[in-house]
Amino acid sequence: MDERRYRSASGEPIALRRRQHSASCRELVVRCPRLQLRSLSAVTSAVWLAAYGLFALSENSMVLSAAIFITLIGLIVYLHFVKVDQESLLVIGSLGIQVTSSYASGKESTTFIEMGQVKDVVINEAIHMQKVIYYLCILLQDPGDPQGISEVVPLFQSSKPRLDCLIEVYKSCQEILAQRRTAPQVE
Amino acid sequence: ENSPAPLPERAIYGFALFLGSWFGFMLYLIWAYIPETWLFSLGLTYWPQKYWAVALPVYLLVAIGIGYILLFGINMMSTAPLNSTHTITDNYAKKQQPKKFQEEAIPALRDVPISEVNRMFFLPEK
Repeated sequence: MDERRYRSASGEPIALRRRQHSASCRELVVRCPRLQLRSLSAVTSAVWLAAYGLFALSENSMVLSAAIFITLIGLIVYLHFVKVDQESLLVIGSLGIQVTSSYASGKESTTFIEMGQVKDVVINEAIHMQKVIYYLCILLQDPGDPQGISEVVPLFQSSKPRLDCLIEVYKSCQEILAQRRTAPQVE
Repeated sequence: ENSPAPLPERAIYGFALFLGSWFGFMLYLIWAYIPETWLFSLGLTYWPQKYWAVALPVYLLVAIGIGYILLFGINMMSTAPLNSTHTITDNYAKKQQPKKFQEEAIPALRDVPISEVNRMFFLPEK
Protein backbone atom coordinates (compact mmCIF):
# COMPACT_ATOMS: atom_id res chain seq x y z
CA MET A 1 0.00 0.00 0.00
CA ASP A 2 1.52 3.34 -0.97
CA GLU A 3 0.37 6.84 -1.64
CA ARG A 4 1.86 9.23 -4.17
CA ARG A 5 1.15 12.80 -5.15
CA TYR A 6 0.38 13.81 -8.72
CA ARG A 7 -1.30 16.68 -10.53
CA SER A 8 -4.64 16.76 -12.25
CA ALA A 9 -5.13 18.01 -15.81
CA SER A 10 -5.99 21.49 -14.48
CA GLY A 11 -3.00 21.64 -12.13
CA GLU A 12 -4.56 20.74 -8.77
CA PRO A 13 -2.73 18.30 -6.48
CA ILE A 14 -4.25 14.84 -6.30
CA ALA A 15 -3.08 11.71 -4.51
CA LEU A 16 -3.11 8.12 -5.76
CA ARG A 17 -3.26 5.29 -3.23
CA ARG A 18 -2.66 1.72 -4.35
CA ARG A 19 -3.66 -1.25 -2.24
CA GLN A 20 -3.07 -4.85 -3.11
CA HIS A 21 -5.68 -6.98 -1.39
CA SER A 22 -4.52 -10.26 -2.93
CA ALA A 23 -2.71 -11.59 -5.98
CA SER A 24 -5.69 -10.92 -8.21
CA CYS A 25 -7.33 -7.97 -6.46
CA ARG A 26 -6.15 -4.38 -6.46
CA GLU A 27 -7.71 -1.14 -5.37
CA LEU A 28 -6.64 2.23 -6.77
CA VAL A 29 -8.00 5.35 -5.09
CA VAL A 30 -7.53 8.88 -6.42
CA ARG A 31 -8.22 11.59 -3.88
CA CYS A 32 -9.17 15.08 -5.12
CA PRO A 33 -8.29 18.28 -3.24
CA ARG A 34 -10.82 19.31 -0.60
CA LEU A 35 -13.04 22.36 -0.94
CA GLN A 36 -10.83 25.35 -0.13
CA LEU A 37 -12.02 27.80 2.50
CA ARG A 38 -10.74 30.76 0.51
CA SER A 39 -12.69 29.88 -2.64
CA LEU A 40 -15.82 29.25 -0.59
CA SER A 41 -15.45 32.65 1.13
CA ALA A 42 -14.74 34.34 -2.18
CA VAL A 43 -17.89 32.97 -3.84
CA THR A 44 -20.05 33.72 -0.78
CA SER A 45 -18.73 37.30 -0.53
CA ALA A 46 -19.26 37.87 -4.25
CA VAL A 47 -22.87 36.64 -4.12
CA TRP A 48 -23.63 38.67 -0.99
CA LEU A 49 -21.99 41.83 -2.37
CA ALA A 50 -24.03 41.50 -5.56
CA ALA A 51 -27.18 41.01 -3.47
CA TYR A 52 -26.33 44.05 -1.36
CA GLY A 53 -25.81 46.06 -4.55
CA LEU A 54 -29.22 44.94 -5.82
CA PHE A 55 -30.74 45.83 -2.45
CA ALA A 56 -29.19 49.29 -2.58
CA LEU A 57 -30.72 49.79 -6.04
CA SER A 58 -34.14 48.31 -5.41
CA GLU A 59 -34.70 48.92 -1.64
CA ASN A 60 -36.30 45.46 -1.43
CA SER A 61 -35.06 43.47 1.56
CA MET A 62 -36.24 40.18 0.03
CA VAL A 63 -33.12 40.31 -2.15
CA LEU A 64 -30.90 39.83 0.91
CA SER A 65 -32.81 36.86 2.30
CA ALA A 66 -32.99 35.35 -1.20
CA ALA A 67 -29.21 35.66 -1.49
CA ILE A 68 -28.66 33.85 1.82
CA PHE A 69 -31.09 31.13 0.75
CA ILE A 70 -29.44 30.74 -2.65
CA THR A 71 -25.98 30.50 -1.09
CA LEU A 72 -27.05 27.77 1.34
CA ILE A 73 -28.98 25.72 -1.22
CA GLY A 74 -26.20 26.18 -3.78
CA LEU A 75 -23.56 24.96 -1.34
CA ILE A 76 -25.59 21.89 -0.40
CA VAL A 77 -26.30 21.01 -4.04
CA TYR A 78 -22.64 21.53 -4.95
CA LEU A 79 -21.35 19.29 -2.15
CA HIS A 80 -23.88 16.57 -2.86
CA PHE A 81 -23.91 16.42 -6.64
CA VAL A 82 -20.77 18.07 -7.98
CA LYS A 83 -17.79 17.99 -5.61
CA VAL A 84 -16.13 14.60 -5.76
CA ASP A 85 -13.93 13.69 -2.81
CA GLN A 86 -12.34 10.51 -4.14
CA GLU A 87 -12.73 8.10 -7.01
CA SER A 88 -11.70 4.50 -6.67
CA LEU A 89 -11.18 1.57 -8.99
CA LEU A 90 -11.35 -1.97 -7.59
CA VAL A 91 -10.13 -4.64 -9.99
CA ILE A 92 -10.90 -8.24 -8.99
CA GLY A 93 -9.26 -10.72 -11.31
CA SER A 94 -11.95 -13.17 -12.27
CA LEU A 95 -14.95 -11.22 -11.05
CA GLY A 96 -15.06 -7.70 -12.46
CA ILE A 97 -14.25 -4.06 -12.01
CA GLN A 98 -15.98 -1.75 -9.55
CA VAL A 99 -15.86 2.03 -9.93
CA THR A 100 -16.87 4.20 -6.96
CA SER A 101 -17.22 7.97 -6.69
CA SER A 102 -17.53 9.50 -3.21
CA TYR A 103 -18.93 13.00 -3.05
CA ALA A 104 -18.09 15.64 -0.45
CA SER A 105 -21.45 15.21 1.27
CA GLY A 106 -20.76 11.52 1.86
CA LYS A 107 -22.79 10.16 -1.03
CA GLU A 108 -21.21 7.24 -2.86
CA SER A 109 -22.13 6.13 -6.34
CA THR A 110 -20.91 2.73 -7.51
CA THR A 111 -20.83 0.92 -10.83
CA PHE A 112 -19.84 -2.71 -11.27
CA ILE A 113 -18.80 -4.21 -14.60
CA GLU A 114 -18.33 -7.97 -14.73
CA MET A 115 -15.16 -9.36 -16.22
CA GLY A 116 -16.93 -11.06 -19.13
CA GLN A 117 -17.93 -7.67 -20.49
CA VAL A 118 -14.53 -6.04 -20.07
CA LYS A 119 -12.41 -6.08 -23.21
CA ASP A 120 -9.53 -3.95 -21.96
CA VAL A 121 -8.56 -0.96 -19.84
CA VAL A 122 -6.72 1.62 -21.95
CA ILE A 123 -5.46 5.19 -21.83
CA ASN A 124 -7.22 7.15 -24.55
CA GLU A 125 -6.70 10.74 -25.67
CA ALA A 126 -9.61 12.94 -26.69
CA ILE A 127 -10.57 16.56 -27.10
CA HIS A 128 -12.31 17.94 -24.02
CA MET A 129 -13.19 21.63 -23.64
CA GLN A 130 -10.51 23.07 -25.96
CA LYS A 131 -7.85 20.76 -24.55
CA VAL A 132 -6.56 17.32 -25.47
CA ILE A 133 -6.50 15.15 -22.34
CA TYR A 134 -5.45 11.63 -21.52
CA TYR A 135 -8.04 9.61 -19.66
CA LEU A 136 -8.35 6.04 -18.55
CA CYS A 137 -11.31 4.09 -19.86
CA ILE A 138 -12.75 0.59 -19.79
CA LEU A 139 -13.61 -0.87 -23.21
CA LEU A 140 -16.66 -3.12 -23.10
CA GLN A 141 -16.89 -6.15 -25.34
CA ASP A 142 -19.40 -6.26 -28.15
CA PRO A 143 -21.28 -9.57 -27.69
CA GLY A 144 -21.64 -10.14 -31.42
CA ASP A 145 -18.16 -9.23 -32.58
CA PRO A 146 -15.07 -10.44 -30.68
CA GLN A 147 -12.95 -7.56 -32.00
CA GLY A 148 -15.60 -4.92 -31.63
CA ILE A 149 -16.09 -2.41 -28.85
CA SER A 150 -19.63 -1.77 -27.75
CA GLU A 151 -19.08 0.96 -25.18
CA VAL A 152 -16.41 3.14 -23.63
CA VAL A 153 -16.60 3.88 -19.89
CA PRO A 154 -14.36 6.80 -18.91
CA LEU A 155 -12.84 6.65 -15.42
CA PHE A 156 -11.65 9.35 -12.98
CA GLN A 157 -13.79 11.99 -14.66
CA SER A 158 -13.67 14.51 -11.83
CA SER A 159 -10.08 14.21 -10.76
CA LYS A 160 -8.68 13.91 -14.33
CA PRO A 161 -5.18 12.72 -13.45
CA ARG A 162 -2.30 13.44 -15.78
CA LEU A 163 -0.43 10.86 -17.82
CA ASP A 164 2.12 9.87 -15.14
CA CYS A 165 -0.61 8.89 -12.69
CA LEU A 166 -2.62 7.19 -15.44
CA ILE A 167 0.37 5.07 -16.46
CA GLU A 168 0.66 3.75 -12.88
CA VAL A 169 -3.01 2.86 -12.79
CA TYR A 170 -2.80 1.34 -16.26
CA LYS A 171 0.12 -0.90 -15.33
CA SER A 172 -1.61 -2.11 -12.18
CA CYS A 173 -4.79 -2.94 -14.09
CA GLN A 174 -2.92 -4.69 -16.90
CA GLU A 175 -1.13 -6.96 -14.42
CA ILE A 176 -4.49 -8.23 -13.21
CA LEU A 177 -6.09 -8.39 -16.66
CA ALA A 178 -3.11 -10.31 -18.05
CA GLN A 179 -3.84 -13.11 -15.57
CA ARG A 180 -7.15 -13.93 -17.16
CA ARG A 181 -5.45 -14.66 -20.46
CA THR A 182 -2.86 -16.98 -18.95
CA ALA A 183 -5.27 -18.67 -16.53
CA PRO A 184 -8.37 -19.51 -18.58
CA GLN A 185 -11.74 -19.49 -16.87
CA VAL A 186 -12.47 -22.47 -14.67
CA GLU A 187 -16.08 -23.59 -15.25
CA GLU B 1 -4.77 25.67 -66.71
CA ASN B 2 -5.74 26.90 -63.24
CA SER B 3 -2.89 29.22 -62.39
CA PRO B 4 -3.40 32.30 -60.22
CA ALA B 5 -1.50 34.47 -62.73
CA PRO B 6 -3.03 37.78 -63.82
CA LEU B 7 -4.97 37.50 -67.11
CA PRO B 8 -6.73 40.17 -69.17
CA GLU B 9 -10.14 38.65 -68.36
CA ARG B 10 -9.39 38.78 -64.65
CA ALA B 11 -8.32 42.40 -64.89
CA ILE B 12 -11.62 43.26 -66.62
CA TYR B 13 -13.67 41.36 -64.01
CA GLY B 14 -11.81 43.11 -61.25
CA PHE B 15 -12.33 46.55 -62.72
CA ALA B 16 -16.04 45.86 -63.36
CA LEU B 17 -16.45 44.75 -59.73
CA PHE B 18 -14.57 47.84 -58.55
CA LEU B 19 -16.83 50.20 -60.54
CA GLY B 20 -19.94 48.27 -59.52
CA SER B 21 -19.09 48.41 -55.82
CA TRP B 22 -18.36 52.15 -55.97
CA PHE B 23 -21.64 52.72 -57.79
CA GLY B 24 -23.52 50.64 -55.23
CA PHE B 25 -21.92 52.56 -52.36
CA MET B 26 -22.78 55.94 -53.92
CA LEU B 27 -26.35 54.77 -54.49
CA TYR B 28 -26.59 53.68 -50.85
CA LEU B 29 -25.29 57.08 -49.64
CA ILE B 30 -27.72 58.98 -51.88
CA TRP B 31 -30.63 56.87 -50.68
CA ALA B 32 -29.66 57.25 -47.02
CA TYR B 33 -28.83 60.96 -46.88
CA ILE B 34 -30.81 62.89 -49.52
CA PRO B 35 -34.23 63.95 -48.16
CA GLU B 36 -37.25 62.22 -49.62
CA THR B 37 -38.77 65.43 -51.00
CA TRP B 38 -35.74 66.07 -53.22
CA LEU B 39 -35.93 62.51 -54.58
CA PHE B 40 -39.67 62.88 -55.22
CA SER B 41 -39.08 66.12 -57.12
CA LEU B 42 -36.66 64.23 -59.37
CA GLY B 43 -39.36 61.64 -60.04
CA LEU B 44 -37.75 58.78 -58.05
CA THR B 45 -40.62 57.74 -55.79
CA TYR B 46 -40.50 53.95 -55.51
CA TRP B 47 -37.58 53.44 -53.10
CA PRO B 48 -37.53 51.44 -49.83
CA GLN B 49 -38.04 53.19 -46.51
CA LYS B 50 -34.99 54.96 -45.13
CA TYR B 51 -35.42 52.89 -41.98
CA TRP B 52 -33.67 50.07 -43.82
CA ALA B 53 -30.59 52.21 -44.51
CA VAL B 54 -29.80 51.88 -40.81
CA ALA B 55 -31.43 48.53 -40.10
CA LEU B 56 -29.66 46.43 -42.74
CA PRO B 57 -26.08 47.25 -41.64
CA VAL B 58 -27.04 46.60 -38.03
CA TYR B 59 -28.59 43.24 -38.96
CA LEU B 60 -25.47 42.34 -40.92
CA LEU B 61 -23.03 43.20 -38.14
CA VAL B 62 -25.04 41.38 -35.47
CA ALA B 63 -25.30 38.35 -37.76
CA ILE B 64 -21.50 38.33 -38.22
CA GLY B 65 -20.96 38.59 -34.47
CA ILE B 66 -23.41 35.80 -33.75
CA GLY B 67 -21.81 33.76 -36.52
CA TYR B 68 -18.49 33.68 -34.66
CA ILE B 69 -20.18 32.43 -31.49
CA LEU B 70 -22.37 30.00 -33.44
CA LEU B 71 -19.40 28.46 -35.24
CA PHE B 72 -17.59 28.00 -31.94
CA GLY B 73 -20.68 26.39 -30.44
CA ILE B 74 -21.23 24.08 -33.40
CA ASN B 75 -17.63 22.95 -33.14
CA MET B 76 -18.03 22.18 -29.47
CA MET B 77 -21.26 20.30 -30.04
CA SER B 78 -19.86 18.08 -32.78
CA THR B 79 -16.80 17.07 -30.73
CA ALA B 80 -17.28 13.45 -29.72
CA PRO B 81 -17.92 13.06 -25.96
CA LEU B 82 -15.41 11.14 -23.88
CA ASN B 83 -17.62 8.05 -23.67
CA SER B 84 -18.22 7.56 -27.39
CA THR B 85 -16.58 4.87 -29.50
CA HIS B 86 -15.78 7.50 -32.13
CA THR B 87 -12.71 8.46 -30.10
CA ILE B 88 -11.34 4.95 -30.60
CA THR B 89 -12.41 3.64 -33.97
CA ASP B 90 -14.60 4.30 -37.00
CA ASN B 91 -16.26 2.47 -39.90
CA TYR B 92 -13.15 2.33 -42.05
CA ALA B 93 -11.04 0.85 -39.27
CA LYS B 94 -13.67 -1.76 -38.47
CA LYS B 95 -13.92 -2.92 -42.08
CA GLN B 96 -10.22 -3.01 -42.90
CA GLN B 97 -8.85 -6.25 -44.36
CA PRO B 98 -5.78 -7.84 -42.78
CA LYS B 99 -2.85 -7.50 -45.18
CA LYS B 100 -0.21 -10.14 -45.93
CA PHE B 101 3.21 -9.72 -44.39
CA GLN B 102 5.95 -9.53 -47.04
CA GLU B 103 9.63 -10.10 -46.32
CA GLU B 104 11.85 -6.99 -46.38
CA ALA B 105 9.00 -4.72 -47.39
CA ILE B 106 7.61 -1.82 -45.37
CA PRO B 107 4.49 -3.14 -43.61
CA ALA B 108 1.25 -1.97 -45.17
CA LEU B 109 -0.56 0.94 -43.57
CA ARG B 110 -3.31 -0.10 -41.17
CA ASP B 111 -5.21 1.16 -38.16
CA VAL B 112 -3.61 -0.32 -35.05
CA PRO B 113 -6.07 -1.27 -32.27
CA ILE B 114 -5.87 0.91 -29.20
CA SER B 115 -5.01 -1.96 -26.85
CA GLU B 116 -1.92 -2.72 -28.91
CA VAL B 117 -0.89 0.94 -29.02
CA ASN B 118 -1.24 1.22 -25.25
CA ARG B 119 0.82 -1.89 -24.63
CA MET B 120 3.57 -0.57 -26.86
CA PHE B 121 3.65 2.89 -25.27
CA PHE B 122 3.06 2.27 -21.60
CA LEU B 123 4.02 -1.26 -20.65
CA PRO B 124 7.72 -1.72 -21.47
CA GLU B 125 9.99 -1.02 -18.49
CA LYS B 126 13.11 1.16 -18.89
